[in-house]
Amino acid sequence: MLPSTRILRAVIAAIRPRGHGFDQPIDDDVLGDIQRFFPYLPWPLRLGLPLGLWLVELGPPLFARRWCRFTSMAPGEAARYLAAFEHAGGLRSALLKGLRTLVFLAFYEHPQVLASLGIDWAGRADALVLRRAELLDDHTG
Amino acid sequence: MTTPAERLAPPEHRIAYPNVIAGGALEGEREYAADAVVVGTGAGGATTAARLRDAGLDVVMLEEGALHRTETFVTDPATMIRRLYRDAGTTMILGRPPIIFVEGRCVGGSTVINGGMSWPAPERVLAHWERDLGLPDAGPQAMEPYFTAAERILHVEPNQEDTFGQNTHLFLEGARRLGWPAARAPRNMRRCMGLNNCALGCPTGAKQAMHVTEIPRALAAGAFLVTHARVDRVLWKGRRAIGVRGRFVDDAGRARGRFRAYAPLVVLAAGARHTPGILKRSWLRARAIGRGLHTHPNAKVVGLFDRPLDPWIGTHQAFHIHHFREQGILIGYAAVPPGLLAGALPGVGEENAAWMRQYNHMLTAATLVEDEGEGRVVLGPDRQPYMLFDLSPRDLETVHRGVALTAELLFAAGARRVLLPFADLPLLEGPDQLRLIHERPPVPDTVELMTVHIMGTARMATDPQRGATDASGAVHDTDGLVVADASVLPSSIGVNPQETIIALALRNAERWLEARGVARRRAAAAR
Repeated sequence: MLPSTRILRAVIAAIRPRGHGFDQPIDDDVLGDIQRFFPYLPWPLRLGLPLGLWLVELGPPLFARRWCRFTSMAPGEAARYLAAFEHAGGLRSALLKGLRTLVFLAFYEHPQVLASLGIDWAGRADALVLRRAELLDDHTG
Repeated sequence: MTTPAERLAPPEHRIAYPNVIAGGALEGEREYAADAVVVGTGAGGATTAARLRDAGLDVVMLEEGALHRTETFVTDPATMIRRLYRDAGTTMILGRPPIIFVEGRCVGGSTVINGGMSWPAPERVLAHWERDLGLPDAGPQAMEPYFTAAERILHVEPNQEDTFGQNTHLFLEGARRLGWPAARAPRNMRRCMGLNNCALGCPTGAKQAMHVTEIPRALAAGAFLVTHARVDRVLWKGRRAIGVRGRFVDDAGRARGRFRAYAPLVVLAAGARHTPGILKRSWLRARAIGRGLHTHPNAKVVGLFDRPLDPWIGTHQAFHIHHFREQGILIGYAAVPPGLLAGALPGVGEENAAWMRQYNHMLTAATLVEDEGEGRVVLGPDRQPYMLFDLSPRDLETVHRGVALTAELLFAAGARRVLLPFADLPLLEGPDQLRLIHERPPVPDTVELMTVHIMGTARMATDPQRGATDASGAVHDTDGLVVADASVLPSSIGVNPQETIIALALRNAERWLEARGVARRRAAAAR
């Protein structure tokens, strides 16, 4: 596993929703989804995101006065450390925003999570494609 | 004759796309020649290509993205964003505040991922173009036939009532209680089913985007389309444009082979970011190129209701509030998929989970603001176009007013709490707190904005100092080079620009053809 992949995995664990019915064990799927996204990002982000992950990894002494790496923090502490980025402003806020976007997009659109919300967008799409075909067919004869 | 199996698919699933060259795998160097080369296949590019082909010109369309057929569209946002959006939807307009900008990068351009709103530019805007900016035949009367033709191309109709979900009913209820008239939104669709997947490509085929209308029509008439073809710059002979050159790219945008496309008429329709980028890379030094950027920003406001409203069921934006349009404010609503909405809600981990558990109780509304401030497009060190835009103090006021009005509507509709796009005021616990929006000093850095409607970066103007293109969209001080996208809009129009882009493309294409004597030759041949 690449070092940045190890950090990304820890970031996912810290950011991913928990409780309130969102405890699905899907971190590996979320990681895979995010990795599939990487090649489609513009080059400044393809370059900047791995650097940002290293900022997260090496940041605890600087931002949290903890002499450890992010990946060695306890889960609750890691989540609090990252959550503090939200109000830090500047680069750290932007970094957390980007990471949140990637994690949430992969997490909340996972079929297990959608099912827990009672959402079946894909099933509805299949039904409506067929229904529209029938309606237009009736209309045009 | 169709078989029974084929009849179970909508017509948009059965479209033939002849004359398409997939450039994604092409290596080496290729050359194309035609009467006209059209760069970009969105609202302006596709319309222009079809009109030029109708006039008998040999047309080659160049599109940086891929051709994705309607029947391959799915509802998974991550998949469709990778396939249809430029830079996977991560483009930013740099400034105070930074604004998220998304646009299509696929055959059909942003028409594939827009909400399908088809409003003509307001009459006061058109009158301003003609009267104040001195653009001949750009006023309401002169433009009327082009808007009519645009609506025919787009197949504009209102949503049928069986597509309305709870979000529509609540939005209308809020407007009714406040006495605000709600305008039924005209949309480019053919029997919408209310799937609510417009922004990720319409799997039902109902949205009449360019990849199911003008592009297949132009292809069937003999035009050619080269996909995965990213144009770098215009080729010149003196001041006359003679073609373009660029690179083939794969689905992720990595460069492959090279191409040149030669034509005596070069039409740039790559969008209000990349069209000025191409112009600037083509050694044109006019100061006006890239200036005049308007962003028509929008701010999300989310209402939380006690009862479930299942926002993912039923159409979005069947109605708009245009009551405040004279103040530059438009209010609409949309169902944002959970994976995209979550990023706009506070917190990580358990905090975000607590909000998102209420997803089915949320109505997401938005205010769109007609901006008066102007930004610009500049080339970065990587020779790519970057957008710079600061919200003016007046625009900032308008955003705050629009957010306050939208929150008021949501409370009137019965929302218990309302989430705001302000970092320093993320939540209102009741309508009595609406005053808090205006009690704080408006600071641009605390507002979260996004846009899908940039315009004006090669705007039409009779004075080359004021705009990069003349009154018919031809680039000043050049021959054979014209622009046919949102770049030519002379000012912010305050509504979704798709229909206006098409109307102007039709108007301007007529002028280009006249100037080239095509109309005269055709008339003579007919005689």
